[in-house]
Amino acid sequence: MSQTVEKRTVDMEIIGEWVEPGTHVLDLGCGRGTLLTYLTQTKQIKGIGVDLDFHKISECVQHGVTAYQGDMLSFTRAFADNHFDRVICSRTVQELSDPTEVILEALRVSRAVTVGFVNHGFWKNRLDTLIRGRKTRNAVYTTEWFESRPSNPVTIADFEHFCSVKGIRISRRVHLLGDWKTHCPFLPNLFAGYALYELTK
Amino acid sequence: MPDLDDLAASADPAAADGGVGIVVPRDFVYDKPFAFKSGQTLPRFTLRYETYGELNITRDNAILICHALSGDHHCAGRHKPDDRKPGWWDNLIGPGKAVDTNRFFVICTNCLGGCSGSTGPSSINPETGRSYGINFPFVTIHDMVRAQKLLMDHLGVHALHAVIGGSMGGMQAMLWSILYPSFVRRLLAMATTAREGAQAIAFNEVGRQAIMQDPAWSQGNYPADGGPRVGLAIARMMAHITYLSDASMDRKFGRRRRADAANGDAYNFDIQFEVESYLRYQGQSFINRFDANSYLYITRALDQFDLAYAYGSLEAAFAPVQAETLVVGFTSDWLFPPEQNRDIALALLRAGKRASYAELATDLGHDSFLLESEDLYALIRGFLERSQENVVDFSI
Repeated sequence: MSQTVEKRTVDMEIIGEWVEPGTHVLDLGCGRGTLLTYLTQTKQIKGIGVDLDFHKISECVQHGVTAYQGDMLSFTRAFADNHFDRVICSRTVQELSDPTEVILEALRVSRAVTVGFVNHGFWKNRLDTLIRGRKTRNAVYTTEWFESRPSNPVTIADFEHFCSVKGIRISRRVHLLGDWKTHCPFLPNLFAGYALYELTK
Repeated sequence: MPDLDDLAASADPAAADGGVGIVVPRDFVYDKPFAFKSGQTLPRFTLRYETYGELNITRDNAILICHALSGDHHCAGRHKPDDRKPGWWDNLIGPGKAVDTNRFFVICTNCLGGCSGSTGPSSINPETGRSYGINFPFVTIHDMVRAQKLLMDHLGVHALHAVIGGSMGGMQAMLWSILYPSFVRRLLAMATTAREGAQAIAFNEVGRQAIMQDPAWSQGNYPADGGPRVGLAIARMMAHITYLSDASMDRKFGRRRRADAANGDAYNFDIQFEVESYLRYQGQSFINRFDANSYLYITRALDQFDLAYAYGSLEAAFAPVQAETLVVGFTSDWLFPPEQNRDIALALLRAGKRASYAELATDLGHDSFLLESEDLYALIRGFLERSQENVVDFSI
């Protein structure tokens, strides 16, 4: 089992712990529906995913995951306040052209938002940039610069600052070390490889 | 209730071309009065239909295919071995195909008000001994669906595994899951709309005017071998443009000239461009198979279809739906554009239903739903065949 798959599973377990059984969950950037399938099996949620890619939506449909092909913002704007119990943005925020708008919209249409991201402030990422002087590449971000999509890397410090500037309440946070398993005891922006936040209004 | 073997005999499983083989259309005669939504009634009606595959013991593997404006019940296989073309959705339906007739019992009917064997304006009114013409009751999508349900009851189908339709067929499919929620398990609506926009209504009106302004229409009272052939051909030529796209027409015809056209500039109105020739051919072949009054009735049914208006809102319309839904839009469809397909999926989701939306990038316009595309086949097969208990092992 590759390291990436193992990391993905740890990520799913923590996200799953915060999901109340039987609730209505929206996954923004749902990919092939792996997380929603996991949550449906373990938490009996009613889920819906949003993604831009036809083939990913097609795989969701094949696996019985309800999915919508389209833009996240035009999707959320079609729903009333608190339509969902929870919105999950798992490793999505760094690819958004307007992260503020998406997160505020997610907060509007739900009671709680889970945001999970790779911490680009992690010391290895810093060292990588400092020493190699190249785009960060690791077990999660495997591609060369010229094979990568535009991204807007985020650090734990950036995200905390964002929440404080926008007045968003952080109700839970989990910082994991570079193994994505062990809780990070101190200086998370330097020592945490992965961060999970629960935001509420 | 007919025998299961009797139903299976409708299609020849030993088809040489990998399709459903030679098929024989059947007629279902409903021999009681049928009241239309308009309040008008027919003493009886006939639906012509075809079936492929076999109905299972639990009588719940049936899939109903609903055709578009100019379609009919012949969606797969051939009537004769030397038929030039198979049924209109033969690429999708057949043994081992996306709608797999080895697993499913597939039914397709010519809609009520049609002209391919089902009762419609060209049928003989038993009271007068002449065709109904415009004395035929006004048909709605609602009436078409109710008539199909009577056929399902006659066939002994206990539940529909899926209702599938593109364009007008998608409207019927949606209404099926609203009117008979516990009967429909899956709803697949493609290139469709919950209400036509002004542009689509406008195109239909031009088609109707072309027919009604043709003197041969004579208020709908034309002989079976006559009628507004010019008007109907023009209606079809124009409508056909709305089923294509700028890009697909350009690729298919461009500015290519007919081989027999004069070189350089020709100062006359004969056919010069391939696209003109193609449209004239479409118009001519249409008048040999379609009834002008049926065209008036069915386009009117399309225009009147408006789920939001009929139920107060689209969410209210979808409130009873139990089916799991997949809506498919096509990027180049400017007749029933992606937004109108998305609106269906979003309204279903707002109503708390299970609805997915997929959008295929094609440049073939409205007719894209008939596309030969492995991506589309995989999507449809995935939607129809996945089991409810799809368990993935997450343990490592």
